[in-house]
Amino acid sequence: MDRALKARLERRFGDRLAGPVRQRHDETEIRIGAGDVPEVLRALHDEPELGFTLLCDLCGVDTGTVMQAVYHLWSETTPDWLRVIADGLPREKPRVPSVTFLWKGAEWLEREAYDMFGIVFEGNRDLRRILMPDDYVGHPLRKDFHLPDDASRSPGGGVRPMESPGRPADAAETTVRRRATAG
Amino acid sequence: MSAVAAYWHRLTIPARILLVGVPVVLVVGAAVTVGLALLAEPLVDFLGANMGLVRFVVAALLIIVVATVPTAFVVIYLELKVIARMNLRVGPDRVGPYGSLMSVVHGLKVLSKEDFTPSGVDVPVFTLAPVAVFLTTVMTLLVVPFAPGLYGQDFNIGLLYLFAVGGLNVVGLMMAGWASYNKYALLGTLRAAAQSISYEIPLTLSVVGVIILAGTMSLNSIVTQQAGSFLDWNAWRQPLGLLIFFIAAIAEANRTPLDMTEADQELVAGFATEYSGMRFGFFFFAEYVNVFVVSALIVVLFFGGWNAPFDWPWPVTLSLDPGALGIGLVFLIGLAPVVGTIVLGLPFWLLSSRISALQALVIGFLLFNLVAVAAVLAWAFISFDWAVGLAWMIGKTFVFVFVFVWMRGTLPRVRVDQLMGFAWKWLLPAALLNIFATAAAVVVIGK
Amino acid sequence: MTTPTRPSLDDPNLTIPVDRAGIFEPIPPARTERQQEFYALRDGEMLLNLGPQHPATHGVLRIVLKLNGEQVVDLDPVIGYLHRGVEKLCENADYHQAICYTDPLEYIASLFCEWSPVIAFEKLLDVQVPRRAEYIRVLAGELNRIASHALYIGFFALDLGGITPILWSFLERDEIVEMLTALTGAQLLFNYFRIGGVNGDLNHDFMSRLGDWMSRAGRQVEAGTALLNENEILVRRARGIGILDHETAFRMAVSGPNLRASGVPLDLRRAHPYSVYPELDFDIPTRSEGDCLARYLLRVDEIKQSLRIIDQCLHQMPDGPVMARLPRLVRPRPGRAYAAIEGPRGLYATYAISDGTDQPFRMRIHDPSFVHLQLLGLLMPGNLVADTMAINASLDPVMGGVDR
Repeated sequence: MDRALKARLERRFGDRLAGPVRQRHDETEIRIGAGDVPEVLRALHDEPELGFTLLCDLCGVDTGTVMQAVYHLWSETTPDWLRVIADGLPREKPRVPSVTFLWKGAEWLEREAYDMFGIVFEGNRDLRRILMPDDYVGHPLRKDFHLPDDASRSPGGGVRPMESPGRPADAAETTVRRRATAG
Repeated sequence: MSAVAAYWHRLTIPARILLVGVPVVLVVGAAVTVGLALLAEPLVDFLGANMGLVRFVVAALLIIVVATVPTAFVVIYLELKVIARMNLRVGPDRVGPYGSLMSVVHGLKVLSKEDFTPSGVDVPVFTLAPVAVFLTTVMTLLVVPFAPGLYGQDFNIGLLYLFAVGGLNVVGLMMAGWASYNKYALLGTLRAAAQSISYEIPLTLSVVGVIILAGTMSLNSIVTQQAGSFLDWNAWRQPLGLLIFFIAAIAEANRTPLDMTEADQELVAGFATEYSGMRFGFFFFAEYVNVFVVSALIVVLFFGGWNAPFDWPWPVTLSLDPGALGIGLVFLIGLAPVVGTIVLGLPFWLLSSRISALQALVIGFLLFNLVAVAAVLAWAFISFDWAVGLAWMIGKTFVFVFVFVWMRGTLPRVRVDQLMGFAWKWLLPAALLNIFATAAAVVVIGK
Repeated sequence: MTTPTRPSLDDPNLTIPVDRAGIFEPIPPARTERQQEFYALRDGEMLLNLGPQHPATHGVLRIVLKLNGEQVVDLDPVIGYLHRGVEKLCENADYHQAICYTDPLEYIASLFCEWSPVIAFEKLLDVQVPRRAEYIRVLAGELNRIASHALYIGFFALDLGGITPILWSFLERDEIVEMLTALTGAQLLFNYFRIGGVNGDLNHDFMSRLGDWMSRAGRQVEAGTALLNENEILVRRARGIGILDHETAFRMAVSGPNLRASGVPLDLRRAHPYSVYPELDFDIPTRSEGDCLARYLLRVDEIKQSLRIIDQCLHQMPDGPVMARLPRLVRPRPGRAYAAIEGPRGLYATYAISDGTDQPFRMRIHDPSFVHLQLLGLLMPGNLVADTMAINASLDPVMGGVDR
């Protein structure tokens, strides 16, 4: 828990932070809006007193109400992990500027977030599905994505919503469709 | 007939074999005898008129059946077992004693696989490619002298014939890769062609030194000129030539470390990716025979061929004339096994109470076989010098086969551009250097 | 650059072979800029599929190579053949079950795959792990690291054509795996780490095997490296191939031995210590060349360091419980936790989000092999097809982790 880091971050990014800088154990977390991602991350990467040069993780999160793009960074200047949450992405069309201009290695991480959540990273030259087949429909890790269940146990003939906590049992049934061979 | 059908299921397998086999043998034997009796004279006349053809056919069949098949089987078994031991594994040890029949099983396996032709291939070329590869490899056996008098043909351009025919190997590989309609095969083929052509030249040039020293390209003469002791072998007179030939031979035989053409880990199976069953079997059969031929060449050219390393005066001369026994020979052949089995098995039965009579007979039979084989071999060694020569030749050849297998188990693979760079930039100049040095030495020393 | 179209059969200027048998897959429609760039073939270039079924792609990896003869011009790795939806599965399981799902990710070093989520969950739950459990975790983890690196050496040699070191590596690994079987009960997917400790103390069988092995530790690996390190053929094929420099490594988010072979002495066990690593004394091997040979030699050095750590663990092992007391169904308070460890391939991290229920709301697994596979597109072009295998093997990808 690095208080000095919290102070530095508040001093540097004060107005852009969409919430207080939270710290727990050895992680420091800041929240920013989607549009601020390029400048904030570039500042974190380039400025010597921040120096977060190692990208440790880039993922998407579906909170149920909004989407988030979460970046984890490491710097030699602080013993803490830094978590940057680009919060407030709308669930229908989540869009975030890409960070591939800073870390080319983020390309596949962003592809995976796109594949799993549908988050479009603007500026990523190769934004296509990576883990699922190219012509797959649906984004699997979204909270409104339902896994097909055992056909034998299902009256609907193959698909029913997964019972998950907080999800009412009478939620609308959706199927996972595969588009026939793309032209 | 119906009695047989009724009791067929109660027969054991040996009984079934006998029940079917004995009548078949009798009928076929009778037919052959009758046929021979009727056709004997015209047949003998025909054969006598075309003796050359007869000898050729017999020799070709003998070579293929006796020379290539068992040789390839032995080389395959050696490879499996030796590499397994190097890998601290056991290798095949279930099929036959110490797994020695594994090659037979492999052969049967490839014979029994489905023989398909993938769609899109160039069918005549695809089908003939394994034939071309196998043919060229077997044809090289024609001129290799295995023992004094034991060779196919003694061309006075034997070495030239060898390299010419051996070089046709790559034609078969190219046919295979091109016709396969597969990019992996294509890559493998092009590598094979490039590699073969690159190493053909140092291979041929490295033996020019030997040719200069021997004055002839006939392999038989090269071997006879190395008679004497091991100090007369060409290895001492042409060390650089030996080294270059050895390395180029590895490349021509497509063995690791120079086996880019069939690099398992990169090109699945190189030119043979689309082949399966016996067609695939042909390629690798040819490869193992090629390994044997190339080892035999190294021995013939540089290590004295069938000459023993030192003169071994046989203190015993034996002149046995089995024909003099007349009808007694038949009795000898009939009674010797029986008597030998009993005589050799008796001590075991008498001296140990745990061994039953049957076991003692079996032991006696095995021992008799060993003794008989040893006696026949000894007689052959003493009476025929081709037997001694053959033994030395095979022994030396298999030393080099072992070296090839050893290299396969130990070394990684050389990359294709490094491989060709090595051939053109190092081996070729070295071979030329060797020729000049040899020629200069011959002129100066005047050997 | 336009997407190439299928050639017409009546075109008199047809120079490319026609797919008579109709067996080649059509070139897929280019959806992104990068794909368009990739699938536009110039004169003399061809696409070769180093397909998911291949003897040497370390699992189901498909690389579409654009070749100009033997030289690789560009490549496009296609992954996802081993995607099992682990993250989604973990969302529907409770915290203890989720750890079982993470084992098969990097199956070669599965204890590390368990370690990272376990630390993340312990952070969520504010659980204090007993010191003995931490030492046992380090011990088992370092054993697993040695096993993984031994296998790496074998596969590296195998991909370059040497068929012997892999079997010797497996001998080494067999001993370690039997040890870990005695400890954990399983041979590949150990399922040993629990939230708050480990499942079961060290037992006599494990200790006797370990003591026995320590006297001949690494001997098979040494035999393998003796066969390879000075072998001119291997050195020529690995030196100077696939050079990754300092800046590119950071740009590509590389971590672990691949990063340290490029001259950056960054090891999470020292840079961001976790567990009891601050109390252990070991060096961080680093090499500056950044080529395949450096990556290979570095992992050989790391085995020696791991042996040092194991030795110290055995001497410093404290007494005590091996598991913190936790309820069967844990409900951490809502929050987020991130835990990263130094796996044998690099930075292996878990980001866990809890929503107060007994199932993780989101369990994100960051795998180093996934990130490192992007290096293929950077390192391979310009080299020959034969080098693709060398580079692929030297990066040590495990497809289970790549695809999750």
